Amino acid sequence: MSETVLTVAVPSKGRLKEQADALFEKAGLGLHKTGHERGYTGAFDAFDDVEVAFLSASEIVHHLRAGRVHLGITGEDLVRETIPDVDASVSFEAPLGFGRADVVVAVPDCWIDVSGMADLEDVAAQFARTHGRRLRVATKYFNLTRRFFAKHNVSGYRIVGSVGATEGTPAAGTAELIVDITTTGTTLRANHLKLLDDGLILSSQAHLLGAKDAAWSPAAEARRDEIVSKLKAAL
Amino acid sequence: MAAESAINFEALESQAGTLVETFKIAGYEQVAPSILQPADIFLDQIGEALRSRTYVFTDLTGEELCLRPDLTVPVSRLYLERHPKADREARYCYNGPAFRFQPGGRSRVRPREFRQAGIESFGIEDRDAADVEMVLLATAAVQQAGLRDFTLRFGDIGLFFSLVESLEIPERWRRKLGHYFWRPTAFHGLLRRLSRGERPEAESPIAGFARTLDLGDRARAEEQVERYLGENDLPLMGNRSLSEITASLLDFAADLEAPPLAKEIATVIDYYLAVSGSPEECVGRIAMIARGAGLDLDASLDRLIRRFDRLKENGLDLSGATFASDFGRNLEYYSGLVFQIEMPSLGDGSQIAGGGRYDGLLKALGAPRDLPAIGCAIHTERLLAAVEASA
Repeated sequence: MSETVLTVAVPSKGRLKEQADALFEKAGLGLHKTGHERGYTGAFDAFDDVEVAFLSASEIVHHLRAGRVHLGITGEDLVRETIPDVDASVSFEAPLGFGRADVVVAVPDCWIDVSGMADLEDVAAQFARTHGRRLRVATKYFNLTRRFFAKHNVSGYRIVGSVGATEGTPAAGTAELIVDITTTGTTLRANHLKLLDDGLILSSQAHLLGAKDAAWSPAAEARRDEIVSKLKAAL
Repeated sequence: MAAESAINFEALESQAGTLVETFKIAGYEQVAPSILQPADIFLDQIGEALRSRTYVFTDLTGEELCLRPDLTVPVSRLYLERHPKADREARYCYNGPAFRFQPGGRSRVRPREFRQAGIESFGIEDRDAADVEMVLLATAAVQQAGLRDFTLRFGDIGLFFSLVESLEIPERWRRKLGHYFWRPTAFHGLLRRLSRGERPEAESPIAGFARTLDLGDRARAEEQVERYLGENDLPLMGNRSLSEITASLLDFAADLEAPPLAKEIATVIDYYLAVSGSPEECVGRIAMIARGAGLDLDASLDRLIRRFDRLKENGLDLSGATFASDFGRNLEYYSGLVFQIEMPSLGDGSQIAGGGRYDGLLKALGAPRDLPAIGCAIHTERLLAAVEASA
């Protein structure tokens, strides 16, 4: 193998990995592991100077921001959540058509007095008067939530961190509402939650992303362009 | 890069000595509340806007803590620890570190680790006297530290609440206007919507049901809502009671019927919030607006005039001071007079000290009742920069 000019970060597990693998297959890039079967490095049949790093979807975001990899595949939701000034540090090379999920604001469906974000601020004011505290929003998307709520002039809330089973928190009484991802809305309905009319924060999917702070040699740029065009052709 | 706390260490120490000495001579007891604060109670009061700038973390037992982003809440909690019944007068002063994430990057006037020196007074029933005392002591302290040529900016949220109170509008609109005071864009949007009588919510799927509610009989309306929830398989959850949901629906139903907010009233509010200038000009203009609209703001206006008079009698130069009726210092716990000491020539970091009255905060923190409280915090790094710039 000749000297590495470009590093690509690819999800190491889960649905995102399976779908990324399928796309690379279809694009004829021939992604394979190098070294030990349980290891975390790989390469493409098509190039001998491109290295692949298998990482978790959230780690890929950090590597992209730091410029430790040139390209990476991960969800737009994670990128927009994790990197404060997205456009300064990553470029969106291609949407990949999988890993689709909507980040949404959902409230208990018994809140029949609430249908949009504007109602939420009124409820927050009422809640503060009655309970002496703010509405709690359970989510792992701290930054997306803050930006979206600020845009809609909702301020009477506080975030409680939640990394799993977020939809269950209103029923459990540990939060009043949630910001979470949904694909079909089935889980929300099963937990007696409803979407707000204007509560869609982000329609997310997996993207191929470029790291602006990576070392971009002409050779690296050439490889990037080849990979992008092969992937786009396979979509 | 050297540790942040080491920058100007000696100059800051000596300045802090001067400030605290001034406070102590005035009868303020020095206190040192915990730097680590429970995130929960703290963030319930300051909200997400400041939380996004607060260093929050979880310790090994799973307890959520934060590095205090400000000292008003920690000092208030300390008061409540000492006086759980909130039945004593107390005057405290402090000087110590506070921490804020700086989204735009750090600088000398925007360090993420900074020192706040300040004063808080609790339980003083003569609010006018306490207001005057606070402004005088805060300005005396920065002058002791060597600051010249600063300007003073005032606002009075209490006056705004009196105005809203005096208007002939439904209570639900009063609450809304009060709630949106700190967010001008939303506030003016609300005012426009109310005065145009726009009802975007009239199309909402719940409008049909809301129209059937008995507006005059709260108990019956509650039964109607309970039946509706039962029939539609909507179990109660999310910590709001049947009566809260009903109350909110009744407001909604009343809005569907109500005539728009009278144009004259919307205009009065707009005019009022546009008032800014020297304290005298402002008092005159507000009095004129009130008289024109037939509103009785005399008591609140007299208080405002009295406080400015007493500041002047005590030697404070108000010639360059400004007042603005929409000035609320962006913190929702303020309830009355607010003020800032500024050095406009400094540009970024020109706001050197700020304070205000927060009579509702102590109750929110667990006191059995509202307690008169007012405080002021000095950003000591900025004070030092301002003193050096003017030297």
